[in-house]
Amino acid sequence: MRKILPLKVSVSGVRGIVGESLTPQLAARFVSAFGTYLGQGQVLVGQDSRPSGLMLKKAVMAGLLATGCQPVEVGLLPLPTILFLTKKRQARGAVVITASHNPFNWNGLKFIGQDGLYLRSSEVEEFLDIFHQGEFTYVPAERIKPVLSEKEAGYLHLRRIFSQIKVKEIKKKKFRLVADCANGAGATLLPRFLQELGAEVRFINTELSGKFAHQSEPTPENLKELGHEVRAFQADLGLAQDADADRLALVDEQGQPLGEDATLTLSVDHVLSRKKGPVVVNLSSSMVIEDIARKYGVRVYRTKIGESNVVEKMLETRAVVGGEGNGGVIWPAVHPCRDSFTAAGLILEKLSSFPGSISQLMATYPRYYLLKDKFDCPAELAFKVVTELRRRYQQENISTLDGLKIIWGEAWVHLRPSNTEPIMRVIAEARSPEKARELLERFKGEIEQILKQMS
Amino acid sequence: MKPLKLSVSGVRGIVGQAITPELIINFASAFGTMVPAGPVLVGRDSRNSSPMLTDGVISALLATGHEVIDLGLCPTPITQFLVKNKGARGAVSVTAGHNPASWNALNFINSQGTYLNEFQGQELLDIYHLGRFKQLALKKTPKIIRELNPEEPYLEWLLGRLDLPPIKRAKFRIVVDPTNGAASKLIDKLFDLLGVQLIAINNEGNGYFPHDPEPRPRNAIEVSSLVKITTADIGFLLNSDASRLSLVSEDGETLSEEYTLPLIARYYLKKQPGPVVTNLSTSMMIDQVAREQNLPVIRTRVGQSAIIQAMLEEKASLAGEGSGGLAFDYFQPAFDALVTMALYLEMMAVEGEKLSTLVKRLPRYHIVKDSLVCPAYRLHTLVAEVKKLYKGLEINQLDGLRLEKKDLWVHVRASTTEPLIRVIAESTSQHRAQMEVDRVMAYLRRLTA
Repeated sequence: MRKILPLKVSVSGVRGIVGESLTPQLAARFVSAFGTYLGQGQVLVGQDSRPSGLMLKKAVMAGLLATGCQPVEVGLLPLPTILFLTKKRQARGAVVITASHNPFNWNGLKFIGQDGLYLRSSEVEEFLDIFHQGEFTYVPAERIKPVLSEKEAGYLHLRRIFSQIKVKEIKKKKFRLVADCANGAGATLLPRFLQELGAEVRFINTELSGKFAHQSEPTPENLKELGHEVRAFQADLGLAQDADADRLALVDEQGQPLGEDATLTLSVDHVLSRKKGPVVVNLSSSMVIEDIARKYGVRVYRTKIGESNVVEKMLETRAVVGGEGNGGVIWPAVHPCRDSFTAAGLILEKLSSFPGSISQLMATYPRYYLLKDKFDCPAELAFKVVTELRRRYQQENISTLDGLKIIWGEAWVHLRPSNTEPIMRVIAEARSPEKARELLERFKGEIEQILKQMS
Repeated sequence: MKPLKLSVSGVRGIVGQAITPELIINFASAFGTMVPAGPVLVGRDSRNSSPMLTDGVISALLATGHEVIDLGLCPTPITQFLVKNKGARGAVSVTAGHNPASWNALNFINSQGTYLNEFQGQELLDIYHLGRFKQLALKKTPKIIRELNPEEPYLEWLLGRLDLPPIKRAKFRIVVDPTNGAASKLIDKLFDLLGVQLIAINNEGNGYFPHDPEPRPRNAIEVSSLVKITTADIGFLLNSDASRLSLVSEDGETLSEEYTLPLIARYYLKKQPGPVVTNLSTSMMIDQVAREQNLPVIRTRVGQSAIIQAMLEEKASLAGEGSGGLAFDYFQPAFDALVTMALYLEMMAVEGEKLSTLVKRLPRYHIVKDSLVCPAYRLHTLVAEVKKLYKGLEINQLDGLRLEKKDLWVHVRASTTEPLIRVIAESTSQHRAQMEVDRVMAYLRRLTA
């Protein structure tokens, strides 16, 4: 097993351990490269609640100022809010000081481009080339701009969502909710958001000390506390944001987690019921999306894993809704990015128009079972495994867009070598848990056999 | 060529060329690594680039585990005063003093409130070059304390040390040009407390320099005309961090910055007798004043760090340079133009004399300065070559070459701030001083041709 390196550079930015790999020098160099890449203009600067955020922010400011950009401090705000504001303010880009759900001692920088979109892979390449060449465009002293600071900017994002959903209908229902902010930046805006939707809400994990009460992956384990609170509070619904507040997981009125795909399922159905148009989801999202799309007679596009891939395809196909099965809902009517606030708004609106509980609503959709697993597999072998399996299954309906996905009517399996770790992910979905388990085991067995043959 | 100058007490250069965020963070990290854990002050002048440098400095100090007391816009002498006042481990003052607006610098100040001495400066450079900086995991959000009125304890201290009643009785009218630097606005408070009618220009603190922020006659033309129009008692011109001062007399004469030291020396040394420290390039006027009171003059290398180090070692009463930076032992071991202005007013009030009269009492010397642009790597070899011109004469090599002939001295040295060789000569005769400078310059030009 390869050692986990304390510094990671990926399409969405850089992450590292403060005091080891993520130094103010490194931050300033990355931001100087980013400022050089963007050219001079306004750049939003946001951060999460980690204690090292202040130190890194100062280094980020120095890098932006030196390259002639005008930093606009927006402070502690959810990621989708910062993406939205980048477009709203017509800024050149944004830098967010966050390491999402990584442990406490980590931090990182996320780089956001024009129109509030993540950089495309070709753009990332260009930006990283500048970083590696180390030739930054510093401006002379007289062209250094003053720092701006925006307070209350977050509300603009909420107002945008309110303008797109039926606030009155939702208010009428006087929902009882429990919301878990996972000690993330969502806590800065979610109380106000739900309050203005007329809901009575119990909040958990809203302290922004930079320490996380639980991991933000929406596993049953991490949703336990929320489920318990939902029962105790006799709530209609439980909402769980992740640390960046871009994804949303749901717990029904009985305190049961609704499964990863529920958020996207409900949102896609609801948006399509209001406006028909193409849908874009990644390869690992549930087949229920196709079922829903068929109902409205619209097309589904599948993309590689990764938010920026989904967004790119959505903009290209003028999709009305899209997202990822892990709770990331993208509704371009608000902003083309994963947004837990948008998702919460859509789901509450959907629920307000349904004469029953959330579990009854979920029962109206075809039920699928999604199982995930991963196992160690060195990157160079992963490629060979995928090639061999593709040869074996070439008669089937396959997609090689991202690893290998094999689809049989009402079931599929997706094999994907990870970009960041020496592991292979296997995801299987079917109409019954047994069938999904059987598929998963079958492919694990095949892969193990191929690996044995090769070594 | 990106001019970057390292001196014992800091790093200086043109912003965007030598001065980059990474360089700033590296130097401030070296400083943060060198000083023991505890609060560090950060002050800055009004330059457009100063907030950028300040952000870099603060991030490095936080990363190396320090609590930061952010003084905002603050003259260097006040930052230096506050180090002891606040019990800080040290300070960083972001300012390029007298350099043009395109420049900036970090000035490192030790726990005694003085510029780093040569040993501390060497240690800083060693840590910088080694590149192994202290790095904390930052498990708790580090503290930045924003000091909104850093000047208050300083002004209280300063007033307590002045002979106030005569100053107040004199009801002076003065003209001050703080060059839109760090002392802007603050001078309103200071002179209000001294009961002085202040006419201020370039008092916005916005970093727009209407002239180079160097106190010298060619930049004092506005002050001079205002002194005449308003019949003021004196005019003052500051640099961007209020560490240097030049004077305009009540008749509007723009006095060379060489006068700032000797004009106050007679009065101050009478009150506080003791040795005087100055550098090798400063006018002989100070020797005459010291001789009258039987006090020694000690000459050192150029620069605040060397001067103050000598001042402390020799227990000197007064230290200063021909550039207009003065430190008074009774006040603090730092070049302080605010103290200097206040003392000038005290002297004028107590002695009841006009500045022009005091000027006339000093011997008239003529100082001639010239400089030659030369590649940085040849600076010191070329300076050494000049020795050949003065065979048989005793040469002081503390800082370049300095030698004395009858009624004349000449000093040839490499600049610490620019790739220049400076040639300075002083004599009672303008002609002889000029001849000597010309001779050295001609020799140097032949060597570089």
